Amino acid sequence: MIKILTACGAGVNSSHQIKDALEKEMSNRGYDVQCEAVMVKDVNDEMLSKYDIFAPIAQTDAAKNTNMPIVDCGPILYRIPAMAVPVYDAMEAAIKKLKK
Amino acid sequence: MNELISFANIVFTPFINLGAAPLMMVVLTLVAMLVGVKFSKALEGGIKLAIALTGIGAIIGILTGAFAVALQAFVKSTGISLTITDVGWAPLATITWGSPYTLYFLLVMVIVNLVMLALKKTDTLDVDIFDIWHLSIVGLFCIFSGANLFVATVLVIFIGVLKIINSDLMKPTFNDLLNAPDTNPMTTTHMNYMMNPIIMVMNNIYDVLFFWLDKYDFDAAELNKKIGFWGSKFAIGVYLGVFIGLLAHQDVKSICGLAFTAGVCLQLFSLIGSWFIAAVEPLSQGITDFANKRLNGRVFNIGLDWPFIAGRAEMWAAANVLAPIMLLEALVLPGNGLLPLGGIIAMGVTPALLIVTRARVIRMIVIGAFELPVFLWSGTLIAPFVTATAKAVGAFPTGISATTLISHTTMEGPVEKFLAFFVGNAAKGDIQYIMYAVIALVVYFGLFVWYAKKMKKRNAIYAAAKATKN
Repeated sequence: MIKILTACGAGVNSSHQIKDALEKEMSNRGYDVQCEAVMVKDVNDEMLSKYDIFAPIAQTDAAKNTNMPIVDCGPILYRIPAMAVPVYDAMEAAIKKLKK
Repeated sequence: MNELISFANIVFTPFINLGAAPLMMVVLTLVAMLVGVKFSKALEGGIKLAIALTGIGAIIGILTGAFAVALQAFVKSTGISLTITDVGWAPLATITWGSPYTLYFLLVMVIVNLVMLALKKTDTLDVDIFDIWHLSIVGLFCIFSGANLFVATVLVIFIGVLKIINSDLMKPTFNDLLNAPDTNPMTTTHMNYMMNPIIMVMNNIYDVLFFWLDKYDFDAAELNKKIGFWGSKFAIGVYLGVFIGLLAHQDVKSICGLAFTAGVCLQLFSLIGSWFIAAVEPLSQGITDFANKRLNGRVFNIGLDWPFIAGRAEMWAAANVLAPIMLLEALVLPGNGLLPLGGIIAMGVTPALLIVTRARVIRMIVIGAFELPVFLWSGTLIAPFVTATAKAVGAFPTGISATTLISHTTMEGPVEKFLAFFVGNAAKGDIQYIMYAVIALVVYFGLFVWYAKKMKKRNAIYAAAKATKN
């Protein structure tokens, strides 16, 4: 099980779109992932340490000290499937690197 | 004609009599299917909206039920008359989405956006369908204040067009703050950024009076880390419950009850918020697909909800510092009836501050402190309307005192609520209000034009800097 954290303003809109899209696409690609959506305000090193990959919308200050893999997922929000494919590819590459 | 109306009444009245939740379930399902969503997906969205409406009503009931008595006692013991319960954004959004007018305003704005793209008046395709409620609430409040649907629609289109133009004006600043290349299509038409013109005026005043404060800017991420869980929803509920309980001279047991009830409600409001955002999701995708098909692969920027910028620590640092400032202001501000609770973390305020000041956090806080009264007054102004609408869509508990009001302290678009109020009252033919409305609209538009000029200057500097770099 790969644990992914995503975040947005209120933790209910953009981040939920990312969560749903990642869980669906990664399971289609054969990976067992679980994604959680939170308020970006609540993201800190302690919270990040409980996840394998961080999947923010764009650059996030709260994650600047972490060494964990970070995949920017903003393009998922564009609602244009072709533009989200590079994000899914990057996420798949990050998952493969984890060697779980 | 009369036959047609009576036929429509026969068909629709039984649906309307079912109440808002079942009605909106049917309407949302049908509209989603109209834009090409499969029946099962469309129905899923419809049911989620119905349970969100029902759920939000239940939580409003718990919150107002617990606080009504304490707030009355608070008024008695302190002499401060803040009796409107601040429920935050989620209930207002849910209530607004409980009105079929929201789908109507959505349709109008989708057409406006496509026309503006076709006429090359904008480069932004807005896919943030959910946030149409910000405009819809302006339109609904305009109607509540006395306008007919036509006048309200014109006002919504007027503000909507400026919102879309603003998304183009802000685009280079977003790239700057995100360290993103020009190819990044992220922008936003979010209503909170319509405060930019006023913030820019204040920013210019700041340049003259408070420029010496800039050197004290601090590390925003570090401050947020220190605040830790104290800034989270449940913690805010708990200590505001304690605050109100203490000032209302309640006993320890009641204070604990208030504190934990507020904590529960603030957590649940945003949870239910996520249900109804999910409810609108199939419709959002359907509309985007529909629009994309008609744009023939043209490259454009994409209007998202505001939080793609939420990774900047400054906006949260400013929101955290502004929370206690707003509480103090609320206690002494003449004409304010709201005690900050659900909206105390000012997410509808700080993104615009971030953009105009370009993340100078002391500036954000000082200007924020000066503009917050506008939000409190606007929240107070719309309280009777919000409460009436909540009752109309069945999201307001029965058995609560008829004088209990709900609203939101930091609802984006406070100035637009005043516009709606003036225009609505002017539409009734009151000469005084017609004058107010004309003055308000002229000032609002004039400020926007001035702001647009300033932003174009800023954008030219960005472009020149890029050109020299290359």
